[in-house]
Amino acid sequence: MEGKGLLRSQVDPALKALRPGVRRRSLTCGVLVSDEAGRFVLEPHGLADQENLSPFGYADRLGALAGRYLQARRRSVSSELDYLILVPTLRCNLACSYCQVSRAALGARQHDWSDETLGHVLDLVSGLRARAVKIEFQGGEPTLRPDLIAKVIAAVPPGVDALFVICTNLQTIDDTILAIFDRDDVLISTSLDGPLELHARQRSDTEQTRRFAENFRFLLDRYGPNKISALPTVDPSHPPRPADLVDAFAAFGMRSIYLRPINFQGFARKNHSAAREIGEAWSDYHRSFIRYLVERNWQDRGRVFEETYFSLILRRIFRPGSNRHVDLRNPNPMGQDYIVIDHDGTAYPTDEARMLTRAGIIDLSIGDVASGWQTEKRAALNAASTNDGDPACETCAYKPFCGRDIVDDISRYGTTSLPRHETEFCRRHLALFDFAFEMIHSDSDKTRYSLGHWLNLPGPFPRVVAVS
Amino acid sequence: MIALTLPAASDADRPFVTRLGDGEKPAPTHSRLEHFEEGRSIWCGDHGLLEIFHAGENVQGDVVLVEPAKGRIERLIRTGSRHNTLLVTEQCDQLCVMCSQPPKKSHDDRFGHFTKACMLADEGTLIGISGGEPTLHMEKLLQMIEAVLARRPDLSFHVLSNGQHFTPEHAMRLRDPRYRRVAWGIPLYSSDPVRHDTIVGKPGAFERLMESFVTLFRAGARIELRTVLLSQNVADLAPLARFLAANLPQIEQWSVMGLENAGFARRNFGDLRVALPERFAEVAPALDLAVLHGLPVRLFNIPLCHVPPAYRHLAVASISDWKKRFASACDECRAQADCSGFFEWHPQELVDRVAPI
Ligand code: SF4
Ligand code: SF4
Repeated sequence: MEGKGLLRSQVDPALKALRPGVRRRSLTCGVLVSDEAGRFVLEPHGLADQENLSPFGYADRLGALAGRYLQARRRSVSSELDYLILVPTLRCNLACSYCQVSRAALGARQHDWSDETLGHVLDLVSGLRARAVKIEFQGGEPTLRPDLIAKVIAAVPPGVDALFVICTNLQTIDDTILAIFDRDDVLISTSLDGPLELHARQRSDTEQTRRFAENFRFLLDRYGPNKISALPTVDPSHPPRPADLVDAFAAFGMRSIYLRPINFQGFARKNHSAAREIGEAWSDYHRSFIRYLVERNWQDRGRVFEETYFSLILRRIFRPGSNRHVDLRNPNPMGQDYIVIDHDGTAYPTDEARMLTRAGIIDLSIGDVASGWQTEKRAALNAASTNDGDPACETCAYKPFCGRDIVDDISRYGTTSLPRHETEFCRRHLALFDFAFEMIHSDSDKTRYSLGHWLNLPGPFPRVVAVS
Repeated sequence: MIALTLPAASDADRPFVTRLGDGEKPAPTHSRLEHFEEGRSIWCGDHGLLEIFHAGENVQGDVVLVEPAKGRIERLIRTGSRHNTLLVTEQCDQLCVMCSQPPKKSHDDRFGHFTKACMLADEGTLIGISGGEPTLHMEKLLQMIEAVLARRPDLSFHVLSNGQHFTPEHAMRLRDPRYRRVAWGIPLYSSDPVRHDTIVGKPGAFERLMESFVTLFRAGARIELRTVLLSQNVADLAPLARFLAANLPQIEQWSVMGLENAGFARRNFGDLRVALPERFAEVAPALDLAVLHGLPVRLFNIPLCHVPPAYRHLAVASISDWKKRFASACDECRAQADCSGFFEWHPQELVDRVAPI
């Protein structure tokens, strides 16, 4: 068996101390053993001499050195500000049943950036120093103010490589906004909840849904599928059949689906009060969705679909340094490399934090665009925004791959100090990682076919060698 | 094939290094073109007169070593080429089964000339250092690199080494910021110590190499790991990929290289060679593993049409300009510009087995 000789024979017990902590987790397919560097092997259940096993390759100073390197690579280092989420207006031309952002009515006043706020935003943008930045326009419906979008785009300093994402409900596309969409550095993001009937139900109006579909097709014809992404928002208690959801995406030529459960905050919270304890249902659905993708990808091999968050999980397992996703990283610095600026200039660490605050649940603002966000509040959030030192995480086999989402904890429990295993975030991720590692060790060609594609491998996913 | 040495005559009595002027302001280290005609050119500088006999080569801008007694010049650094290599010694302490430049016992110390040559290189040139085993002369090698980079921080070096001679004391020295501009190309043929040792013809080489890696990574050295594809190690590639992911993830690149039909390899080419494209399936899992773990893997010296489309983005047009050739059928291939082609001395019947893209 390849690699096995190395695994067992070269262990020097005296070197064990150099090895970062080894953790175990029991799965159906065996016992997963990982170290803090994220190196892992699968052992059969009931292996006797566990104490002496050092399963991570060449067991000497080189392996230890590599381990420290990998461990460091797996920690996100906070960089300069390079990701802005901007809310130029809170007004919206739709009223979706679960709108996450407590929108304002179309004709409402004082829900757009004031001239003063605009000035500060433009100062912020023109002061960006990172080599590459991403600026995302959220709402409300940002396309109601194409003038503000254009001003922000124009304020990016020369030499900074900027990518703009406009999150829109695609209700109206006029020439002004089309001129912005036409730019090569602009991407469009929208919502597609599944089959159009479902989309219409969740978004309260069939006429609007028809307009959405029409505009969506118009943009696809104009730009092809790479410019537009769509996010489905799924109600875990009434999820669409995976086949229907995938069909809906396939109809628009899209292959990446980022499943998100309805976020029970803001307006959503009021309508869906049973929200809190449906995590289990969500995990089940997520898994069944991925199983469905595996089948479908195998049946129809030319068209491979992925679930974006699961692909991220896989990348984080195998590729140290995949730390750019702000939803899943450790530590997860707040108000450091990204920031949300609301329509009134208030600064939030995440978009969820903005929603929680707007919903009146807890004020998670950390400053404002005029005076900055180097605040005590930010420092307090940052102190909690890590898995390091947490008693549960420090013994968890998945810590090297996992992340921290304190805003999720706060939104559900009003505190960041609930024992980790009792949080929805932890339960959801344990389930996801369990599922991922079962798949990784699967012998099935179907599974390996999809895994290979989801990880962008040139060939099928390699068989993972288990210690026996 | 581009000629790297040319017949020449000079009235100097000792070898010297000069840059064949290309119109810039004359400097004592430069030679000025005095006369040019079909087949020869005459140059003049502080060292005296130099007459070079050449067919079609344009040598203007080249940095050359003139050896009057041998009646030749050696083009050490050719202007505009990405493939300049200084051969610092022909001695080596390994004896690899496929060595393309079998070692010799004697050593001709040319570090002084090479140092001068580097100083005269074009702005931003990448200079290769090879052998034999350059680190057999570690002290002089490091001195040369440090001296050159102190005066010419725009240059960079790529040193081919068997990694047998780094000791813990080198870690401090290699931490000098100048070494950010130095990459070390080091071969590792298998994660099975015995197999690696057998291929390199030196017992204990694997263990010694691992020790060197500890030193090199402590120093934050830039490592390009090289694995030549051989019948002997093709089955080891996938385990090697896993080994690298777990134990050498710091490497800057993993180069998986096609065998060069030169030196020792010439005698046993049939036994050593992994026939591509037929046997690519044996190589592919290692590449999948490398990509899986985010190891920056590249394929060298393998023509694009010998690589299945899904893996072509990993292939590099790597064969040096002066020793590369194509088959006649390649003329109609759209991928030629991105293709490594073949070594000049690759067997003709194999060269002809191309499939234009
Ligand atoms: S949050 Fe849960 S799954 Fe994640 S590292 Fe901590 S204990 Fe493990
Ligand atoms: S046909 Fe010639 S140029 Fe084209 S890929 Fe093959 S070897 Fe390269």
